[in-house]
Amino acid sequence: MDLRNELLEVIRSRKLSMKPEEAEKLAGYVGRMPTPLEFHLFDTMWSEHCSYKSSRTFLKRLPVAGPLVVLGPGEDAGIVTFTEHRGQEWDLVVAHESHNHPSQVLPVEGAATGIGGIVRDVYCMGAQVIGSLDLLRFGNPSGPSGERCRAICRGVVEGIWKYGNALGVPNLGGDTRFHPGYDDNCLVNVVALGLVRRDRIVHSFAPREAHEEQYVLILAGKPTDDTGFGGATFASSDLEDESEKGAVQVADPFLKRVLSEANAAVLKYLFETGVSFGFKDLGAGGIACVTSEMAAHGGLGILVDLDSVPVSVDGLPSEVIACAETQERYGLAVPLRVAEDVMDIYNEMYELPRLFPGAGATLIGNFSSDPSYRVMHRGEEVANAPVACITEGIVYSRESRPAPVIPVEPGRRPCDPPGDLLRMLHSLDGASRSPIWSYYDSEVQGNTRFRPGEADACVTVPIPGCSTGLAVSGDGNPWYGELDPFLAGAHAVGEAYRNVVAAGGVPIAITDCLNYGNPEDPEVFWQFRQGVEGIALACGKLGIQVEGQPLPVVSGNVSFYNQSSSGGAIPPSPIVAVFGRVDDFTRAMDISFKEPGNLVLLAGIREDELGGSLYYRQCLDHKGGRVPDFRGDLERAMAKFVLTCTRSGISRSVHDISEGGLLMAAAEMSLASRRDARRGMVLYGPADDPVYLYSETPGYLLEVTPEDWESMDQVPDFVSVAGRVTDEFAVSCGGWRIDLQPLVERHTGLLDRLIWREEGEE
Amino acid sequence: MSTLPLVAVIQFPGSNCEYETARVVREAGMNGLVFRWNQLSELRDADPDAFVLPGGFSFQDRVRAGAVAAKEMMMDIVFSAAAGKRPVLGICNGAQVLVESGLVPGWEAGRVEAALAANHIAGRSGYLSRWVFLHARETAVLKSPWLGKLGTSPIPVPIAHAEGRFVFWEEDLSRTLPVEALVYCDENGVERPEYPTNPNGSVHNLAAVMNTDGNVMAMMPHPERAFRLWQLPPWIPGEWGDRIRMSISAGTLADAPGPGALFFQGLADHFGGGRHE
Repeated sequence: MDLRNELLEVIRSRKLSMKPEEAEKLAGYVGRMPTPLEFHLFDTMWSEHCSYKSSRTFLKRLPVAGPLVVLGPGEDAGIVTFTEHRGQEWDLVVAHESHNHPSQVLPVEGAATGIGGIVRDVYCMGAQVIGSLDLLRFGNPSGPSGERCRAICRGVVEGIWKYGNALGVPNLGGDTRFHPGYDDNCLVNVVALGLVRRDRIVHSFAPREAHEEQYVLILAGKPTDDTGFGGATFASSDLEDESEKGAVQVADPFLKRVLSEANAAVLKYLFETGVSFGFKDLGAGGIACVTSEMAAHGGLGILVDLDSVPVSVDGLPSEVIACAETQERYGLAVPLRVAEDVMDIYNEMYELPRLFPGAGATLIGNFSSDPSYRVMHRGEEVANAPVACITEGIVYSRESRPAPVIPVEPGRRPCDPPGDLLRMLHSLDGASRSPIWSYYDSEVQGNTRFRPGEADACVTVPIPGCSTGLAVSGDGNPWYGELDPFLAGAHAVGEAYRNVVAAGGVPIAITDCLNYGNPEDPEVFWQFRQGVEGIALACGKLGIQVEGQPLPVVSGNVSFYNQSSSGGAIPPSPIVAVFGRVDDFTRAMDISFKEPGNLVLLAGIREDELGGSLYYRQCLDHKGGRVPDFRGDLERAMAKFVLTCTRSGISRSVHDISEGGLLMAAAEMSLASRRDARRGMVLYGPADDPVYLYSETPGYLLEVTPEDWESMDQVPDFVSVAGRVTDEFAVSCGGWRIDLQPLVERHTGLLDRLIWREEGEE
Repeated sequence: MSTLPLVAVIQFPGSNCEYETARVVREAGMNGLVFRWNQLSELRDADPDAFVLPGGFSFQDRVRAGAVAAKEMMMDIVFSAAAGKRPVLGICNGAQVLVESGLVPGWEAGRVEAALAANHIAGRSGYLSRWVFLHARETAVLKSPWLGKLGTSPIPVPIAHAEGRFVFWEEDLSRTLPVEALVYCDENGVERPEYPTNPNGSVHNLAAVMNTDGNVMAMMPHPERAFRLWQLPPWIPGEWGDRIRMSISAGTLADAPGPGALFFQGLADHFGGGRHE
């Protein structure tokens, strides 16, 4: 049978996701029938997950450079200038990924390895990890797949806390949303943040010195097993059924914690010894990817000896040892002369072999200037490919067909503030997230200023003795996504940006994770392109840290094929995390109303654009059509106004206006007040205008003293006085008054009762 | 060679609060050093004045939380220090280690007399991160080197654990008072046995138990996470909430001490600023 048919047969029998033409390309590279290991290596390398073959062309639309950017997208994580302390430059290291399919199939393990994988990306840049965020999208817990959705939600939260809490990385929030479009395909996006000294940044490839001196590859961590074999491929195909469990890895936060301590000691040793080295985590494609990429990106070849790889399962075929995605492993490229010292730190000083059977550090490869990637196993050569083809990815130009949604607005818009607020506060998206946060350790490391829910963004003070704080937030609204994929992208940036600004942070960078359906579907691909354009537009408009410069996207991830054979594609889900610098962390702002008599300023006009709003969904059972426009210049001006007030100490509390509009924001600021000093708000009205009360047009509420308001010179025209703070636990206006105490218990307990106690919505 | 009191913070495999704990020890005016589990000779030579077993998940909570670490050789040094009346504090997982090692309450040497069981109380089970209030028992304030500055008024501190419910043998329940150190209460000092005042179902609302001599204390809450005033949530009610407000308007928030500092300042006072003889 001819080569093509042979290749097709291999693709079929090995369940590869590579296309026939890709297999032919591979055969061309090696000049023969590829070996099993080569098939699996390139199946991973060329998977959507690793190669961005569908998305790369359009991702070029995103601004990735800027005066603050130290390292843009490309390596495991992005790096941006953060602050200077005692003569040292400290940089922020950020990474953002999805772990959607594994979490749908095995929620606990899937979410745990999501955290485990993303922190490795930050560790391997030489950074200490100082926090993580998770952005979760679940199906409707009260819908037809409710039981499974609730189980997945519980499992994902369990996976996150069991891993993150044990690892000792504080959870710095994120967001959780529910939408029936995720019934068959939940989203688990994870973000990790780290800090690194500018002169201690580590790169993920063999250094130039490896051309002059013998360098070796040390594999450190967990013994290799067969878990996660084909993981990246799994993440790049439709979720047909749940028989893919073998593709999900198993995480071990205990080993990771000790390994991280050992890594820190190893890096310290290497920097003090003054040798150049490379450091990379093992993720998709396991040993095969890490060895080939560390060599290829260093312009070198490598000879890998699979027989020296510690395994916890006997008799594994070479392609499994090479490509399994066993967790908690790192690869180090170091000079041969220091290899023994390095391995002693792992094996003797930190006793990895005693603490975890089979764990430790081993020498598994030799770099060479012969530009070929060679792997030996049981005396046979099981791979031999030119390294050039490893770095040279592949690109597809996908067809894209516009599929705009025709806006349909509700005929009537009754306005019953007491009933509407109750419906919104007691809705899935409006209820307190505290039942979820109560499982997360947000305070380990001792640097947390604001925990999830206290301010619009979490704030941490990551360098002891340094006054610079870091504000972080993530967002993305699926209800906007399904109505307008372009504005969904812009508002994902805008909402997270406002959260950071409200907390007192100057946004310095963002990361994104673009979650969509099957890119081979032209309408889905159009949604993806729209989302990228929306993010690009917002970033171009919103830079304020450096005047006239865009807000840079320093890291990100694309997740396609988020759909099941039955369920169809998820709503377009561009999800964005924004990172902000707080010059003086003691000035960071929370959302709780403080003093009766203070004025509440409204920054931002209220427009009639309630499409996808919480009010439409909860009170009119209607999605509407016209989502809020993105007004970049106004957005930037509002941010500057808020930051000026906060920096100068005028702000007493700040909350951005988003889901539920102005009324919801006022209620949330009241609900956040001290239980022994309850506060509320009198709105000056209009009292019965749904646009004024519920529109989600971007904006802010700021609490200021009357004196400070008087002393403000030239107030921008988009700022007005919306009301004042009272010492009654109520929100009132003109003809109505809403007592909040009766609403508290259900608002804070709804998710606990629904998700964890399975008590149902009523 | 520092003449400040040396407090050794023990790092077990899986500990994860060792660095911030050593930091607050130093900020309280003492010398705080982290010792890895296998640095036995280094620890002996350092001859610390006090020990802290920090929070975390030592040995992955294998068998039971703290059970494996309690059998580590490093603990022999802690045992003899405890016998020599040197102050020992176990925080969260460190408290679980002290209980599993039999040091607390220590009625009979070498016998495990208490346990930290899985959180369980009407309203909430399982892992819980939450700010709670607690106050010290008067007897404990007089005895414990850690509680000298605490007094008996309620303070806010955070908990973050899945196994923090103190339990004893039935026959011992009547004699716990002398070893009761810290008790969960509300911001007014009322000891309600219900959730959330009692966050985990602990008997007698116990948040911390000490040995009969009072020098060894096992506490589930995290004082190092309430060491600075700015670590407290903005919604904290009562006196400490007022302190936050005043400190913000006075512009002193960066350095203002939080309630957790009282534990470590109390220890520094206990040593009178110098090392043991």
